[in-house]
Amino acid sequence: MPRFTTVALAAGAALLVRRAVRSRMTTAPLWPMPALDEPVSGYGRGSTVPRKVLVTGRATPAEGVVELRLEGAGLPAWQPGAHIDLVLPSGLVRQYSLCGDPADTGAYTVATRLIEEEQGGRGGSREVHEQLHDGVEVEIRGPRNRFPLIDSPAYVFVAGGIGVTPVLPMVRAAEAAGAEWRLVYCGRSRATMPYLDEVERLGRDRVTVVAEDESGRPDLGFLGELPDGTVVYCCGPDGLMDAVGAAMPEGRAARFERFSAAATTGGTAFEVELRRSGRTVAVAADQSVLEAVREELPGITYSCRQGFCGTCQQRVLEGEIEHRDELLTDAERGDSMLICVSRCAGKRLVLDL
Amino acid sequence: MSNTQPAPVASEHVELKARKVSFDWEETPLHWVPGDPFTTHTINVLHLLLPAGERWFVHVYKQALPHITDDRLREDVIGFIGQEAIHSQAHDDVLPHLRKLGLDPTPYTAQVDWFFEKLLGDRTLPPGRPRRWWLMERVAMIAAIEHYTAFLGNWVLNADELDRVGADPTMLDLLRWHGAEEVEHRSVAFELFMHLDGGYRRRARTWALAFSALVFLWQRGIRFFMENDPSLLDPKASFADFVRRGRKGVLPSTPDMLRSIPRYLSRAYHPSQEGDTAQAMAYLASSPGANGGR
Repeated sequence: MPRFTTVALAAGAALLVRRAVRSRMTTAPLWPMPALDEPVSGYGRGSTVPRKVLVTGRATPAEGVVELRLEGAGLPAWQPGAHIDLVLPSGLVRQYSLCGDPADTGAYTVATRLIEEEQGGRGGSREVHEQLHDGVEVEIRGPRNRFPLIDSPAYVFVAGGIGVTPVLPMVRAAEAAGAEWRLVYCGRSRATMPYLDEVERLGRDRVTVVAEDESGRPDLGFLGELPDGTVVYCCGPDGLMDAVGAAMPEGRAARFERFSAAATTGGTAFEVELRRSGRTVAVAADQSVLEAVREELPGITYSCRQGFCGTCQQRVLEGEIEHRDELLTDAERGDSMLICVSRCAGKRLVLDL
Repeated sequence: MSNTQPAPVASEHVELKARKVSFDWEETPLHWVPGDPFTTHTINVLHLLLPAGERWFVHVYKQALPHITDDRLREDVIGFIGQEAIHSQAHDDVLPHLRKLGLDPTPYTAQVDWFFEKLLGDRTLPPGRPRRWWLMERVAMIAAIEHYTAFLGNWVLNADELDRVGADPTMLDLLRWHGAEEVEHRSVAFELFMHLDGGYRRRARTWALAFSALVFLWQRGIRFFMENDPSLLDPKASFADFVRRGRKGVLPSTPDMLRSIPRYLSRAYHPSQEGDTAQAMAYLASSPGANGGR
């Protein structure tokens, strides 16, 4: 009967199609849709997940300095020069350089000097000293690196006091890589300078220790005659960093790590060039880049104005960025910024706008 | 036509702002609705669709922003964009946790990424009318989808049964924070569509598209999760499962969902007529995730 044949054929075809779709769905759940070559979802920044660590070690590497070992699961790898944000029990957020061993994947090490209120301390270091004991759980963010160690055959490191923390892993890495290096380590007195022993063990003839109560201020004159190709890293008090900056030869700059007050608004004035629009706007000290740019380009997109939603992210073509957001990854920070909070570390930024 | 203009309920308007959030997934089990993988995975489909979907909302609305001539609506859309950006990030951050529990979502999400970034992404169109047409289609689709996000948001804020069965508190907080913000901003997408276009035929057409797409994506998502769940021996899922759980109250009820269809298609529809802003604001004020983010 022709009708029976038709029904049988249709049923057979339907069964085949069902089986074919089923088998395809095991590898492509939304078949017949294709997949994006490089999936985006599920590989985000993790910005809404807190990372908790446990204080499992506390030491005193120098007078007024505590060292904390922070243990956690699945801690991201880091490179010398990196820092983390420590969210203190009161909600204060402070940045501390990682000074441990990058190969230790189960824990981070930070060291903090207590800064008294009369010395301009704002309570963060006091909280670390008084409240972060063994067994206390704290939240961290990062790590991030705005002080990366670039490959070079020769380095000069200048560290002042607690500023030795980012420099220490750098010195170890330079030594391990067989590079030429030299360290000038300054401080008020030997007793207040953390990690002196380790630094001297790494290379007594390469390290110059300048304790102010013994030998006064460091002589930085040698920086003026550095051969080309020697990279200079410096972290320490503002006075030391200014002195290093001034001692550098014409046209060459040292690399600095500044832990200034983590202000979220205001700073210095600078200008922003909007390359595609062919316009330049001045950003006042008390104004954000977004506010200044909006006067020229009212249609520009933004939303939270606090550096966490990411809507105002813009590509930066030239200029040194001072990142103040909590969202972007290191890779994104290389060539883009959130213009609602981040500023310029120099005099001029060029945006792709 | 003035008598059929949709009327907003004035008291339901609030100023919108993105809230910073933080959710710790460490303790959340694979079946976060205890003993009920079907319900767990039906709701889990949100984590598959929303990261790419809400990123797409932001992408489209950034293009719509320059066309807005009403200042208050502009402010609303700016707040909406920030909230959607955070929603997308928060759901995206659940996916690595699912992967850690042995349920890798990538085969599905890579296709959803293609759906939103390519199929519904920017097309090579001549400037002028064709480009505006494609923008308006997408703005209208978002308005239709937001009808359902508001529906689901309102549902989850009132789904006491999920508390009773002992659902994971962190996951419930994520859903209710998100749901509350969807209720809070439920009028924005519709008002933007009415402001820029408002054509009824487009509204009906894009509703049909959005609804079919949601049904397709959702049922495939449930099947995907059930079949790949390492702890399930019998991964069967059927429409009857869905209806049953709707009756129980751990999922939206099927009759309620059917009833919401004609409401969106009514010419007098305005999203502010549904849901309760005060309830949403009250939840947001007490949400651990939204306040924990400070």
